[in-house]
Order: sequence, then structure tokens, then C-alpha cells
Amino acid sequence: MRTLLVRLAGGLTLVGSSQVALASGWNMPVGVTDLSREIYNLHMAIFWICVVIGVIVFGVMFYSLFRYRHSKGAKAANFHENTTVEIIWTAIPLLILVGMAIPATATLKKIYDPSDAELDVLVTGQQWRWRYEYLGEDVAFNSNLATPRAQIRGDEERGEHYLLEVDEPLVLPINRKVRFLFTSDDVIHAWWVPDFAVKQDTVPGFITENWVRINEPGIYRGQCAELCGVDHAFMPIVVHAVEEEEFDAWLAERQEMAAEEAMGIDREWELDELMERGEGVYGSICASCHQVEGEGSPPAFPALAGNEQMLADLEWHKDVIINGVSGTAMPSFRTTLNPVELAAVITYTRNAWGNDSGDVVQPAEIAERLE
Amino acid sequence: MWGVIKSVLWAFLGVQRDEQRREDFEKGSPLAFIITGVVLGLLLVAILAVVAVWVAG
Repeated sequence: MRTLLVRLAGGLTLVGSSQVALASGWNMPVGVTDLSREIYNLHMAIFWICVVIGVIVFGVMFYSLFRYRHSKGAKAANFHENTTVEIIWTAIPLLILVGMAIPATATLKKIYDPSDAELDVLVTGQQWRWRYEYLGEDVAFNSNLATPRAQIRGDEERGEHYLLEVDEPLVLPINRKVRFLFTSDDVIHAWWVPDFAVKQDTVPGFITENWVRINEPGIYRGQCAELCGVDHAFMPIVVHAVEEEEFDAWLAERQEMAAEEAMGIDREWELDELMERGEGVYGSICASCHQVEGEGSPPAFPALAGNEQMLADLEWHKDVIINGVSGTAMPSFRTTLNPVELAAVITYTRNAWGNDSGDVVQPAEIAERLE
Repeated sequence: MWGVIKSVLWAFLGVQRDEQRREDFEKGSPLAFIITGVVLGLLLVAILAVVAVWVAG
């Protein structure tokens, strides 16, 4: 009992110091943008107002309970109304609420002002990954969970950034206003990065907005914050915030890669090249449902290894990958993957795990079909 | 009329003196209070909207 009390007292002292509370990880982070700092200060100001109100109200209550207790012969006062007291206890909360609403509204106005952005990024939620498109820059990619399945199953030791690591992070410049446009391809997701104080729902058929101007370079991690299906926990967000020159160099490099990829559509591809490329695409996009060895997990996710319908009908197979199958969990990959990736993954699934059909699907024929 | 408006405005705040309450309940019909309440309610919304536009606009 005594140790419990000591621990409790220690805990309360911890809460008393907001710096320690911050270090303990219980509090929201101050973050790395001016706006996140402002939101943090607002949160702390309102927190302390609540603490003061709580101490006063419960202090008066406990004092009265003790001082005027029945065993000391206290008699309850019996009166019906007191207009003055009622006006006071209505006016004080009114003033407190208005007092909190004024700074809160000023901050809200800033949050909802994405004007004068220097860079626009379209963020699309998908079951279960994020897709980032740098609008007007010809750069777009998917950001998939990079944590190995073996760690998730418990066969391997968990890594340092378990479920908070991706194959391709979002790269952003510091000191520039970046506007995000959010949408979704399927269900509602939410893009949440605590260090930016940004948590925005992504709604299919709608565009929502938010923005950041990051002050410090670094790696910032977040998660989907809207329950979106079985792999909701497996679509993390990783943002690399880099110096402006570094960002410009990165963007130029990505643009070059995109141009090369576009040229690759027209040339003839060998089976081996497509298999190699397709294995990568399969691992990051398909394996979470159809499994690494193509065994699937029936009935929701059919096996692809030895799938007779798929192997017998190449055109149907292409249609399933490009357009999805309505009424099932199979989504359309028309916008998620480019023609090279689509051709590679179709070729891969037709030749891996003993499927050995020998079919080679060229990116050019996929590109034609997409038009 | 002024008495009705005063009662409705006090009701907006959620406080009323007992004498005034008794007086109000002596009137036969609540219609005057309902109409005044709706009109003043709309007026309050309009005032808030104007203030919001003035501050944020």
C-alpha cells in the first residue's frame, strides 16, 4: 500500500511538469512546423485552464463535504432559487469558452489556408498503401509497408521501426509551403503525421486539403488513422524532410527515372527482365493478400499458383489486374501501376511458382489497352 | 410585448426569476413566446453570421 502511494505521488509529480510529460511520450508532440507548435501551445493552455477549474471545483466540493458533514450536525439550507448565483455560474463558463474559442479560431483559420503553396502533392489512400503524386512534376509512386511479413507473424525479431517503415517515403523540402490534396480510391482512410499536427480524412470522390511548412530536416512517421480494413495497421506514412537543394536534386532524379520508364513502354521486353521487375511489384502490391508463394488465402484471396482460370485466359487475367473484380476485394490497378509494372506483374504471375506458361506480356500492349 | 421579449432573452441564457416565471405562466397561450423565440433565434443566428463574416472575411 505504501509503495503504491509513493508511486502514485511520483506519477502525479511527473504529470505536474509538462516538460517531463512531454519526454514521457504521453503528451502530443510539439512537432516541427510553426503551426504544430501553435496547436501544441493551444492544447497546453486549454489543459491548464481545465486543471485550474478542476482544482477549484473539486476543492470547494471536497472542502464542503468535509467541513459541513452530517456527523458534525450540519443542516442543509433549504431554498428554491438564487438568480444572482445562477447568472454567475452561467456567465463564467461563457467567458471561459469564448476566451478559449478566440485563439482556437485564429489557429483554425491558419490550418484552413493552403493558399500560396509552392508544391502540390496529391495523397491517395488505397487498401492498403499510400500513393503520392507531385502535381505538375510528372513524379508519382506508391508507398508500401516495408516491414517483413515474418516479423508480423512473429517468426523474426521486430525491427526498430516495426510497422512504421515503407519502401518509398514521401520526400518533402523544408522551409517551403507544401499543399496536400487528399483523396481515396476505395474507403475512407486518414493521413496522420503527429509531428506535422496533420490528421486528414481521405474520402473517395472528394478532395480534402491541408498543408505543412516543415522547419527541421528529419524522418517523420505516421499511420492511417481511420479503420479501413484488415491491413489498416499496415499502411504507415514515412516523410523524409530534406534541405531545399537536396529536394530539387531528388525531384530531378525522379523525373529522369519517370522519363526512362515512359520510354521503356515502347521497347520489347525479355521474359527475364519482366520476371525480375514483376517479382518486386508482386512483393509490394500483391503478396499481402495472395501471399509470397502465390498460395493465396482462400476463399477471399484465391491462390495464383496453379490457378487454371488465370492460366487459361490471358485476356481475362489482364482485365482482372487492370480493372479489378467488382464485388470482391480485388481492386483496380489502372492508376496504381504503370504499363511496365502491369505487364511485369502479369508476366510474373503467369510464370512463377511452377505456373511456367511461358507467356510474355509486353508493356506496349498494356499501354494500348489502357487508352 | 417587452415582457415576453425579456423572458425569451433570459431563456437564451438559461436563467429566470421565479416571480417572472409565475407571471409568464398566467398568460393563457404560449403562442407569443414561441413566435418571439423563433424570431429572436433567427436574429441571433444572423448576428453570429455577420460577426463571423466581419471577423474572418
